[in-house]
Amino acid sequence: MNREPKEYRRIAVCGGIYNNYLALEAALEDIRRREVEAVFCLGDMGAFGPHPDRVFPLLGEGKVLAIQGNYDQSLATGLDNCHCGYTDPRDNYFAQLSYEYTFRKTSHENKAWLGKLATHRRVKLGQYRVLMCHGSPRRTNEFLWESTSPNCLLEKFCRDFETDILLCTHTGIKWHRALDGYGHIINVGTIGRPENDGQVHVWYTLLTAGDDLQVEFIPVRYDHETLAREMEKEGLPSEFIETIRTGWWTTCLEILPAKERARGKY
Amino acid sequence: MTIPTAPLLELSTLWIQVTGTWCNLTCTHCLNSSGPHNPWLKSLDTDMVIRSIKEGAELGIKEIYYTGGEPFLHKDMLLLTAHALEVAPTTILTNGTLITEQVADHLAALAQNSPYSLEIRISIDDVDPEKNDRIRGKGAFSKAIRALQVLHSRGLLPIVTATEILRDELPEGSGMYEQFRDLLLSLGITKPRMKIMPVFSIGRMEGEGGPLLTPEMLDGFDYSLLQCSETRVVAEGGVYACPILAGLPQARLSEKSLKEAFKPCDLYHTACVTCYETGMTCKN
Repeated sequence: MNREPKEYRRIAVCGGIYNNYLALEAALEDIRRREVEAVFCLGDMGAFGPHPDRVFPLLGEGKVLAIQGNYDQSLATGLDNCHCGYTDPRDNYFAQLSYEYTFRKTSHENKAWLGKLATHRRVKLGQYRVLMCHGSPRRTNEFLWESTSPNCLLEKFCRDFETDILLCTHTGIKWHRALDGYGHIINVGTIGRPENDGQVHVWYTLLTAGDDLQVEFIPVRYDHETLAREMEKEGLPSEFIETIRTGWWTTCLEILPAKERARGKY
Repeated sequence: MTIPTAPLLELSTLWIQVTGTWCNLTCTHCLNSSGPHNPWLKSLDTDMVIRSIKEGAELGIKEIYYTGGEPFLHKDMLLLTAHALEVAPTTILTNGTLITEQVADHLAALAQNSPYSLEIRISIDDVDPEKNDRIRGKGAFSKAIRALQVLHSRGLLPIVTATEILRDELPEGSGMYEQFRDLLLSLGITKPRMKIMPVFSIGRMEGEGGPLLTPEMLDGFDYSLLQCSETRVVAEGGVYACPILAGLPQARLSEKSLKEAFKPCDLYHTACVTCYETGMTCKN
């Protein structure tokens, strides 16, 4: 029996958390002040940052409704890499360091919890049908960058997957495009890592249904220096720590398309 | 023997072999034996390319690649780049020898005015000019380096594409990837981008047969790892399964439209084994 998706007016949506429990804590604190009806997370609880198990109690306390990302799938099923979808040796080298750390430090209980998450979620937001996914609706680890997601593909997604609003994450950089006659595609950004613009804060997305859809990207400032020091203590790569302290990506750069790469420092 | 097939799971990547096998170089490892004289696969006319892009858009493609031959030999290449960039992110595979300051200016303007990324991939096979030119022809290295510099100076971020043709000649302990990164950094290219490809036993490297894929090898295999499961190529004569086999009769799936090429393709060539074993993709 098909259940009607639950209907909301105002929701908050977070992208990848990447072990950044301090930013998640700050984001949830901010969200509590904004009178939302529900908080969602589009997957990838682990990666990059320190102390993966500190994320999970916060998700519970914040009643965050999560779906599964590629990292979560890999951790839950014991795969030997994160299946982020990188193709370059340098990207894969750093991704592997991060994955092995996170795999080692995530409890069995939390891995099992990740394994139970669905890969997609449908809700209603006012009159809009919303489909949430991690990468793209057709593949968990597909990258939907702003400069490599043509309208013709996004319109096909909206048609094929019968949705008015498509929400994704995975790339680490937020964007929103309204499609004539189809709806909205929103990459909600990530909580876990700043978005390669020289700013240390991270982002989540607030969606409000009215006569029109209101999309707000909310910056989240958090104690990034404490996170950086904890990453140092945990022996995580100095390149990751530099990103937390400067807001510039130093790794996983090769997957960036030309336009997004050009905006960064490296 | 039964020839295994690969399904088209989705059409994501549209390749356009815009100049067929017409090229101003005659590289010794060229996988489709391109060259300047009597190309066995002819260039596509401009209207045909524009029609293919339009059909690709209707089918919801994700990206477009121009290849050849040498794409910049096409008289309308800049116009065709503009058409492609109106629809989707676009990559051009080139030897770089025809990228003048003027061409680079034009490409930079097109990239600037499109919401989608324009990627220029420049082929170089070794960081040593002499070794590179042994494979690619006299003067090819210096012209390709010049192209990298003029593109970089305009804010485009070219990707160097190298095959592993000279891997055996590398000094002990040094990697191709690092060597190319170091070369690009030494040229002042601060965001070095690289793609390394295997050599295929096809074209000028065609061997005496070789192993083929069998249905047993594909039992339980994830077809999405093969680029022919998400790619089609428009070239003279129709629509083909993948960029490696474009132009070959057994790889032709349609003589007309892309839509008609939505069918399984034969994995009949020894080159299919390379893709199967390496997970190789011609994409960026």
